[in-house]
This record gives sequence, structure tokens and C-alpha cells, in this order.
Amino acid sequence: MSSESGKKRKPKVIRSDGAPAEGKRNRSDTEQEGKYYSEEAEVDLRDPGRDYELYKYTCQELQRLMAEIQDLKSRGGKDVAIEIEERRIQSCVHFMTLKKLNRLAHIRLKKGRDQTHEAKQKVDAYHLQLQNLLYEVMHLQKEITKCLEFKSKHEEIDLVSLEEFYKEAPPDISKAEVTMGDPHQQTLARLDWELEQRKRLAEKYRECLSNKEKILKEIEVKKEYLSSLQPRLNSIMQGLAVLPRLECSGTIWAHCNLRLPGSSNSSASASRVPGITVTQAALELLASSDPPASASQSAGTTGMSQGTLAASLPVQEYLFMPFDQAHKQYETARHLPPPLYVLFVQATAYGQACDKTLSVAIEGSVDEAKALFKPPEDSQDDESDSDAEEEQTTKRRRPTLGVQLDDKRKEMLKRHPLSVMLDLKCKDDSVLHLTFYYLMNLNIMTVKAKVTTATELITPISAGDLLSPDSVLSCLYPGDHGKKTPNPANQYQFDKVGILTLSDYVLELGHPYLWVQKLGGLHFPKEQPQQTVIADHSLSASHMETTMKLLKTRVQSRLALHKQFASLEHGIVPVTSDCQYLFPAKVVSHLVKWVTIAHEDYMELHFTKDIVDAGLAGDTNLYYMALIERGTAKLQAAVVLNPGYSSIPPIFQLCLNWKGEKTNSNDDNIRAMEGEVNVCYKELCGPWPSHQLLTNQLQRLCVLLDVYLETESHDDSVEGPKEFPQEKMCLRLFRGPSRMKPFKYNHPQGFFSHR
Amino acid sequence: MERAVPLVVPLGQTEVFQALQRLHMTIFSQSVSPCGKFLAAGNNYGQIAIFSLSAALSSEAKEESKKPVVTFQAHDGPVYSMVSTDRHLLSAGDGEVKAWLWAEMLKKGCKELWRRQPPYRTSLEVPEINALLLVPKENSLILAGGDCQLHTMDLETGTFTRVLRGHTDYIHCLALRERSPEVLSGGEDGAVRLWDLRTAKEVQTIEVYKHEECSRPHNGRWIGCLATDSDWMVCGGGPALTLWHLRSSTPTTVFPIRAPQKHVTFYQDLVLTAAGNSCRVDVFTNLGYRAFSLSF
Repeated sequence: MSSESGKKRKPKVIRSDGAPAEGKRNRSDTEQEGKYYSEEAEVDLRDPGRDYELYKYTCQELQRLMAEIQDLKSRGGKDVAIEIEERRIQSCVHFMTLKKLNRLAHIRLKKGRDQTHEAKQKVDAYHLQLQNLLYEVMHLQKEITKCLEFKSKHEEIDLVSLEEFYKEAPPDISKAEVTMGDPHQQTLARLDWELEQRKRLAEKYRECLSNKEKILKEIEVKKEYLSSLQPRLNSIMQGLAVLPRLECSGTIWAHCNLRLPGSSNSSASASRVPGITVTQAALELLASSDPPASASQSAGTTGMSQGTLAASLPVQEYLFMPFDQAHKQYETARHLPPPLYVLFVQATAYGQACDKTLSVAIEGSVDEAKALFKPPEDSQDDESDSDAEEEQTTKRRRPTLGVQLDDKRKEMLKRHPLSVMLDLKCKDDSVLHLTFYYLMNLNIMTVKAKVTTATELITPISAGDLLSPDSVLSCLYPGDHGKKTPNPANQYQFDKVGILTLSDYVLELGHPYLWVQKLGGLHFPKEQPQQTVIADHSLSASHMETTMKLLKTRVQSRLALHKQFASLEHGIVPVTSDCQYLFPAKVVSHLVKWVTIAHEDYMELHFTKDIVDAGLAGDTNLYYMALIERGTAKLQAAVVLNPGYSSIPPIFQLCLNWKGEKTNSNDDNIRAMEGEVNVCYKELCGPWPSHQLLTNQLQRLCVLLDVYLETESHDDSVEGPKEFPQEKMCLRLFRGPSRMKPFKYNHPQGFFSHR
Repeated sequence: MERAVPLVVPLGQTEVFQALQRLHMTIFSQSVSPCGKFLAAGNNYGQIAIFSLSAALSSEAKEESKKPVVTFQAHDGPVYSMVSTDRHLLSAGDGEVKAWLWAEMLKKGCKELWRRQPPYRTSLEVPEINALLLVPKENSLILAGGDCQLHTMDLETGTFTRVLRGHTDYIHCLALRERSPEVLSGGEDGAVRLWDLRTAKEVQTIEVYKHEECSRPHNGRWIGCLATDSDWMVCGGGPALTLWHLRSSTPTTVFPIRAPQKHVTFYQDLVLTAAGNSCRVDVFTNLGYRAFSLSF
């Protein structure tokens, strides 16, 4: 059966096998020469099952053919060879087929291997991915468990209970409407509250500690004081035994001892026993002596024995009852020379009546003053009476000894050993210390001044002279520069000893200002030298108030200037908020430089001639140079600062360097700008006492420069845009015969108009 | 020697202020009294000072006689213009004209006789009156200034009768040609315009800045002052102070003053002129020679 079907199929197969192969070859021969036969492509087209069947069929055929050949050979014969040959050809064909099939099988195998390999690789990749994912899952699980196991520290903190929290915590912490529903927010709020409370407690703790320390210190001081009191009490006891009668100090002891036991503790027990006895003694004495007030008065006038005074001093100090100090001061005052005495009495009186910030003290040694007490009259007689004699002596000495002349000068300029100290306290806790001296032989008073401030000032370079003792009081009254002696008689005295002017000695002696003489009640008429000048109370009294007020305003204005200078040097014009309305919001020009210049330099400037000619540039003034810039325009301003600032305004002279040099002599508008700051300064004073004047004037200059530059008519011959576009609002650019620019600033509306 | 040191005059607050005021003073207007003995001068502070010309010009003139006889506060703003009638001194400044009696002015504390304000269109700023001019033939006063117009005021009734319009910028100065009833006006726009009073029309325009002899472009083109005696006209300002022949409208003499702004007056053969940025009144004679200066 199978052989029959195989027989039938074989030629068919060969045909089918050959025909396409032939066809292909033909096609490739005729059409596509480059393409050659590919067995691998053929593999895909063929069915392996069929191939297998073909293989089986071919094998059977081969077996059959071999068997036939063997049959034929064994039979033998002539025509056998031909048959064998035919059979051999057939079997060769079959071999070919087998070879072909073998090749195909190889290719298939290879393909199958490749596919398997590919599949295997894929599987490997999937496996790796799976491993990764598994690892990740594991890690996440670990993390989750870690998070789940996390314990916050706050759980260990012992918080106040919920009810208490809502009751006590301020609403801005508790925020009931938010926290009631949200347990997390609630816990946060509770923690906040806890922190707040703990902070408070810490603060309290610190306070208590410092308090404790303070109290400890106080106790220490009191203990020390009490222990020091013991020997003094003993000495008083002895004094008591000696003195049969005791006046006011007895009553003070009584007060003292009544109070002491309460305020002290253990150490007081030692003093308690004598204390009580003294109290009793004093009380007994009180009954017999005068009432305390009159007693103290009598003590002031008659004086007490030194021993008891010294002993009672600490008690007085402790009780803040400086009877004795005042008494002592009055005692010392008796040794003051008359002018200083007048000053002392008037200043004390003024201080008590009108000005609590004024304190008066006497400095110097009383003994020296006492020693002087007698000789002065003789020496004064010497100098005033016997002029002829003096002349003779000087004539005799002059050619021989210059040293003696020096001594004579020193003697002439000698000041009284006692001096009066006035401390004038201003509102901002800065203090003006004035020390008044009396030059005995010249019969004039001098003063040295010193300013101390509450806070340490950073001293700007340009403010050097503002607070120097040499110039701070200069020209308190107009023209009173304190460089020469106010006593005309001194001139003759100077001639004798060869002193040219007092000004060489002023630094050492202090300044003999006129107002100082007036405070001391010394009055020197200008026309005629007068030999006898007596200290006069009424003169001093009439000048005291105005002078004190002037002194105060002087110090305050100097301090204000000092502050302003500090920022001016850094190119900032410190306009205060209450003066802001004087200026427009936008000011482009700015201060570049602020330096102090010497008087001589000022005199030499070419644009300050008018001020010098008008006599406004005296050598007592301070001189500054300011430089204001905007773009290429530079405005120099030479400033004269009168010592009487701010009642006498600073005077500005301008010189503009822009398209040539412009000063008041060649530009009317520069002149008008000077007028705006110099003459119309009253608008710029600001709030009383107008310490801001200088700053405001400088800021005004900046504004004026802006207006000047912006309204400058554009020269048609020059191409290009204006350097300074007009930003300020002006009603008209020019007005009036003088063609002034609109320099006046109108505050709320903010436009510029003409004055 | 201490005695030899010159006495420095102590300067108090008021002295310093006065000195500064004097330094920054500008004299805007002047007027000679009808009797010819006094000169009134008005400054930028609104003060009017009366000088005695006869004393200052006399042979024994001292420093004292060059000081004002009397000074008083006339206006709030600067006194830009003054003219004298046979009895009155009329002064004008910020939008108002005031009349003073010459006879009473030398006394202390005199008050103005009357004050008038020309009809202005309302504006944020009151326009100033820069120039006053008397027209004796019709007994009227011409005012000109900030509103670029010439107002005519009848002195009899005190009412404003005419308005002459033509200037494009504000008017600095006015002058009258007496022989023909014509008024000259010079303004910021650089033109001197001639007005015929009968027809109230502009007759002639001289644009001074266009003439090379006197034009000074760096100072601008404005005409600051103007005076005429019918044939001749002096005008100056941005352009140099120049004498013009009116009929031929040609410049003849250029005066040697460098600073731009001036006030100028013909008085017989004198030219009185006050330079704007000083406190002096220069007196020229023979059209070009500076004789002397008066000072505040």
C-alpha cells in the first residue's frame, strides 16, 4: 500500500520539487541575476511533517531499489546491467533527496535552538524583574513596619489635661475651633502651650535668681555698714559722756537706731544694746533741748565740734538728710572770693527755685583759700595803690631777670584755689560741666566747659570743633568770643608784665566771657577803666535765667548738629519725618561731600566775597563745604555756621559747575537759590527748637538744584536729548522781570511756583 | 596789642538777617517823583524806598544821603513796576496795582490810596504785573504782565476798558511813544510790538534777537526792559542793551553792560538803569558813559 502510494507520489514529488526549482532558476536567470537560492527561506515554506514522510518514503524506495539491485545481481544476465544502472540512478536521486532533507533538518535544528535561546533569555529577564519587585516589596514592608513602630518624643512629655488646656491656654494657641476636631492639631497646640509655659517659668526662674543675688548683695552691704557702725557708736558713746548737751544729731541717732534693728538681722544684735541706750539718752535730751528744726539751724550757724560731726556723717548719708553736706558747702562758700560767691549763691538759688537739673558744687582746697585770706588785701593794695613803686621794681628787674618776669606773669594770672562747678543736665541726659574760676589779680572770672553725653557719640571728622571745650560756648551772646579780657583795667596790668593779649593763656585759664562776669556780678563799663569793681547780686540774678537757658539750647543744638554731621559725612541728608512736608518725595540731587574748611580757605573762595564784605564771616564761625551732585552738574556750597546756630541761620554761598561756572554774580537764579536758603530759612526751621535747620537747608538746596537743572532752557544749537528731563511740576518756567525759576514748593499739591 | 585789634561788630540774629536780606535784595522798579527831587525804588521783598535825589546829587553829598529817606512795605510779593502821576505813585506786583500819595509817602506809616486788580482768567497762580504805563492824553494806565495781554485802565473811573492781545509769552515791559499815540511792549517771546492805541491794533513788530549786533543766544531772546523817546528806543534783556532808531528800526549803540536783566529809564538826557543782580542804580549820561551809582 505504502509502496504504491509512494510510487505514485514520487514522480509527483520530484515534479513538484523540480518544477518550482526550475521556475525559480529560470526567473532568477532571466530577471534577477544577483538573487540566489536560499535554503533557509525554503525551510519556512516546507512542512516538517511532510518532510518526514518524504524521508520515510525515500528510505523505503532506497531499500526497495537496493533489494532489486541485489536481486538482479544475484540473478545475473546481460540486460541486468542496464537495469542496475537505471536502479542506481534512481537511488542516486533518492540520495540527493535524503541529503537535501538532512540539510533542512540541520537548519531547522539550528532555528529551533535559536528560538529556545531567545525564549530562555526572556524568561531570565522576567525572573530578574520579579526578584527586584520582590525585594522592593520587602523593603517597603520593612519601612512600613519601622514607621508603624516609630514613637514620638512628645508622648513622653507630660502634658496638661485636655480640659485644663482649653481652660487656661490663650485662644491664639488653643484655637478651639480648629483643634477640637483634629487630634493632630490639638496635640500641636498643646505642645505649643507647654513650650510657652516652660519659657515663662524659665524667665521667672532667672528673675528670681537675679533678685536673690540682689538681695544677697544688699544684705552684704547692710551687714558691712552695721559692722562699721559699731566702733563709731562707741566713739559717740564716749563723746556723749564728754558732751553734756547734744543738739540735732542726737535726734538723728534716735531715728537711726529705731530703724536699724528692723532692717538688719544677726549682726545688729551687737549694736542693739548700745543703740537702745543711746536712744534713751537722746530722748531724754530731746525733752530738754530745742525742737529739731531750730536745732539744725543753730547747728548751721554756730557749728559743732568736729568729732561729733564726723561721727554723725554716715548716719546722715544713710538717711538722705544732707544737712551736714549743705552746711559744709556753705561753710566752704564763705571762703569763696566775692564774684564766685555771688555766682554760687545765685546759681544755687536759681537751681532750687526754677531748674532742678542744675547742680552746684565747690571744688578746690579750703586750706589754700584760708591761707590766702589775709595776704590778698596787702597784695591788692600793692598793685592798685603803688603804681610808681611797681614801675620802679619792674624797671629794676626787667633788664636783669626774665625768669622773674615769668613769675610775675604767673602771679598775675593766678586763680583762686576754689572754683565753682555747675552741672547743667539737658533733656537727653547729656550734661554740660562748667567750672568757674576767679583770677584774683585780674579781677575777672573765667569758665571752662565740658560736655558729656549719655551715649557714646561716634565723632564725625567735620564735627571736631562742635563740642570742643574751646568753642562750645563761643558767642553765646553776639560777639562774646571770650578771647580778650573784659576788664579794661587789665590792659595796664598786662603792659607791666609784658603780656600781649590774654588769648594766649585762654586755653589754660578758661574763657573770660562777658556773661561769666555778669553771672559773677562783675560789671565793666566799656568806656572808662574802673578800679573798683564790686560783685553785685542783682546783676548776677538778672542774667542767670537767660544765660542758663542759652547754655542749654547751645548744648542741645550742638548735639543735634553733631548727629546731623555724622550722617552728612556719609552723604545722607537726615531729613526727619516731621520736616518731610517741606520737600517733594523725589529728590534726585544728592549730597556727595561734607567737609570742614578753615576760615582762611573760606575767605579765599572766589564766590564768598559778598559774605566776607558784609562782615558775616568772622573767625568765630565754623566753616564747611558741601558738594551736591546731579549728573554732570556739581553744586559747591560754602557754609558759614554761626556759633549761635540755630537762632542765627547757617549762610550758604553757591557755585554751580555746569556748562561753565555759575555764581550769584553771573546767574540770577543761583542768587535766588541762595536767597531761598539764606533769607527764607524760617520756613525750613521745622518744629521748635529748629535744630533740623541745617539738614533742611541742605535738602532744600538739593531740591533747588533739581528745579534749576530741570527748568534750564534747552539750547537749540545742541543736538540730542536734555540731560535733565523735567519731572517737577511747574506752573510757569519763568516769571517776572527777573525771569526767576519756580523755586517755591507747595506742599500738599506738590507743584512748584514762584515766590 | 589788644587795644589795637579792630572792634568786630557783634552780629545778633536780627543784624545777620538784615545783612542777608540786603545781600539777596533785587531792585525791580524805580520812579522819579513829579517834583524831580525823589526817586522811589521797589525791591523783591515788596518794600519801597524813597531816595532823595537832590541830596545825593548835591556837591556836599555824604554816604548818609545815599541812604533811603523812608522805606515801607508796599506789597506782599516783589514790587515789579512803579509809575508816578502828578500826585500819585502807582506800584504793581503780584496781580495788583496800588496807588500812593507822594505828599504822604515821606511820613511814616502811610497807607495806599486805592488798589485795583485787572480782570484775569482764573488760574492757579495770580499773573504778575511786570509793567505799568501812563498815557496822559487819555488819562489812562496800561498794565501788562503774566497773562500776555495789555490791559488799559481808565484812571478817572478805575475801570478796565481795553485788552490788547498778541504776545505769545508774558510781557516784561512797556513804553509810550508820546508824539504818536503808540505803545511799545517787549516780552519773553523776544519781540517788541508797537500798538496803535486808537485802533487797538498791532502796528509793527521788531524781533530784536534776529539782529546780530545785539543778539546773545546764550542769554535767550527775551526783552527785559524798554524805554523810548518817540524817535529812539532802548531795549535790552537776553539781547544786549541797545539803542534803536525806531523809524528805520535799526540798532545804533550797544551799551557796555554784561549782565542781562536791567531796568532802564530816560530822564532828560540821562539813562538811569538798575542792574538786576545788585543793589545799585547806575546812571548813564551822554548815552554810554557811566556817571555814578546809587545804592540801597
